[in-house]
Order: sequence, then structure tokens, then C-alpha cells
Amino acid sequence: MKITLVKKIKLDGSLCKKCEEVQQKMEQAGQMALIDEVLIADERDPASPGMELASLYQVERAPFFLVEREGQAPEIHTVYFKFVKEVLNQKTREEDELKEILNDNPDLDFL
Amino acid sequence: MAENRLNTVDLDRQLSEQTPQEIIQYALEEFDNIAISFSGAEDVALIDMAYKINPEKVQVFSLDTGRLHAETYQFIEKVREHYGIEIDVVFPEAAAVNKMVREKGLFSFYKDDHKECCSIRKIGPLRRKLLTVDAWITGQRRDQSPGTRTSIPVIQDDKAFARPDDSLTKFNPLANWTSQQVWDYIRSNNVPYNALHDKGYVSIGCEPCTRPTGPGQHEREGRWWWEEATLKECGLHAVNINK
Repeated sequence: MKITLVKKIKLDGSLCKKCEEVQQKMEQAGQMALIDEVLIADERDPASPGMELASLYQVERAPFFLVEREGQAPEIHTVYFKFVKEVLNQKTREEDELKEILNDNPDLDFL
Repeated sequence: MAENRLNTVDLDRQLSEQTPQEIIQYALEEFDNIAISFSGAEDVALIDMAYKINPEKVQVFSLDTGRLHAETYQFIEKVREHYGIEIDVVFPEAAAVNKMVREKGLFSFYKDDHKECCSIRKIGPLRRKLLTVDAWITGQRRDQSPGTRTSIPVIQDDKAFARPDDSLTKFNPLANWTSQQVWDYIRSNNVPYNALHDKGYVSIGCEPCTRPTGPGQHEREGRWWWEEATLKECGLHAVNINK
């Protein structure tokens, strides 16, 4: 299995807030050791490796994870806690999961 | 992975050209286990449309956060009686609410922000409910939240709430309608509506977090008005991706 993490650099040159948060959590949990490759999606450069990967898989969120298993179709994960549970087989806290869902989906405010 | 996963990107292009009724009809024909999320506000239009298309297949749920207006509870009951349908009212986990209130009080959202409270009172029960269905229908519209980059597709693959190794399809039939169009539908079809709308409320949520809005104010200004408007920055700009 190969796992690629794609992080976003915004137009102003800074790392996107969520990418920063996710990376921090992953470092604290020792999960970065399980990532095989980290690519940058630089919004200032559509040809950057991360932007090309996002375009290839039609991903519109960052960060995201590309999981490649031999003989299987590649999987894209844009929800961090689901990636942790389903790919890394590690536990997550429900309150963190719910907050991530709300943060990623501001449209849910109007339910 | 589900074998019969829909290609929601292509379908969104097709369905975007169709009316909310046509989109609901497609959703009800495509899925047997599908539910409408009803907030107790103008999204009642969805129930009316679905009921007229196929009353046998109308499955509705409402999220009772425990902090709704009395008028909203009365309205949910009115809709249940008017259409003669069951409404599954779902509640937050008592232990999670108890912990938050014990540690932070009943109005922590005024000091922090609304997200912790909303995630416990709304998102938690929503997730539990959505684990039991294959598709859901919401009244979300693009014009509800101007200024964000969030686009509301008519149909989407809902990865956030899908069961592990399964898919969940979300329909937003009103995505391309304006508030005015929804209200034109409600008025012209004599659809019952929440009494709060006659008191100046446009967007209706929990009682402590909702207020009436004045002329010219956007409906978003009636919700969480003490919070600074922030823009989400996690999206990869499609313009750049498509270059």
C-alpha cells in the first residue's frame, strides 16, 4: 500500500489552515511515519504535483490522501478521521470527528 | 465499495437543468431508503413536493437540538398532521450534551462559537440517522451563504456521512432556487409554514442563535450574528485545477 498526502499552499503562499491542523495531529499521533509521499498543491502553480493529482482525481478539497493498493483502484480520502479509521485502522474521538464534519461542510449550518 | 455507486458529477450536470420536483422524483425512483431532512423552516416545500410525487415514499426526519423555538416544535407537529406522515424526530446523545453543559454552561456558544454545540446537538444525531439510509434530501440552497466558496451541487456523493465502505447520496433539489422562489412555491401551493416567518425570521435555527432580520439584511445575518464571518479556505480552486 502506498499513501500520498497532498497539502495545499494558498495563493498568498501560506499553508492552508486545515492542512496545518491535520499535519499537526498526524505528527502528534505518529501517523506521518505511515505516509509514503507528501505532495504540494500550490494554487499559484497549476502544474505543481499536488494540483495535477487533484485534477486527475477531481478532488476539490485539501488536504487529501491518495491510497494505492496493488490490484485495486486508487482511493481518495478527503475526510481525515475516516482516513485514520478506515485506512490506518486507528481510533478517533467522536467529538473531533463531528467538529471536522462541521468545519468541512459549512452548508450543514442551514439544516 | 458499493458496486452501484452513482456518478454524481455527471448526474449533477444533468439534474442541475431540472426543476426541484424532477430532481425529487429522480431521487425517490432511484432510492428506496431515502429520507428528507426537515428543519422546521421553509424546507417544508420539499415535503410538499415529495408528497405530491409519491406520498408512500415520503420519509422525513427532524433534528431536535433541544433548543428550538416553541413555534418550530408546533410547526413540526402541524406538518405531521397536515400530510399525515411520520416524522422521525432525532435527539442528541444525552451524555454528550450533559458533559458540555456541565463544563461550559448552557450558553457556551456565545463565548466560543457555535460549532461545538452544533456538532453535539445537530451533527452527532444527523450522523446516526444517516447511517440508516442510502440517500437523503436537504433544502440547502446556494443563496443561503453568500461569500463562501462552498458550492451546493444538486446531487453529491456524501463522503462525510457515508457508512464505512459504502456510499451515501445527498440531494439538494433547491440548490439553484432562491429564497424568493421557495416562498413563491409555498404561497402558491398553500403550504403550511413556521409562524416565526411572520415575525421577521428568515433563517430559522435554534432559539438562542436565531434572530429576525431587517429589510436588506441577508438571512445569514440572523444566525450566529456575534461571530465574525469567516471564509473557508480548505477548497482547491477549481479554476486552478482545471487549467
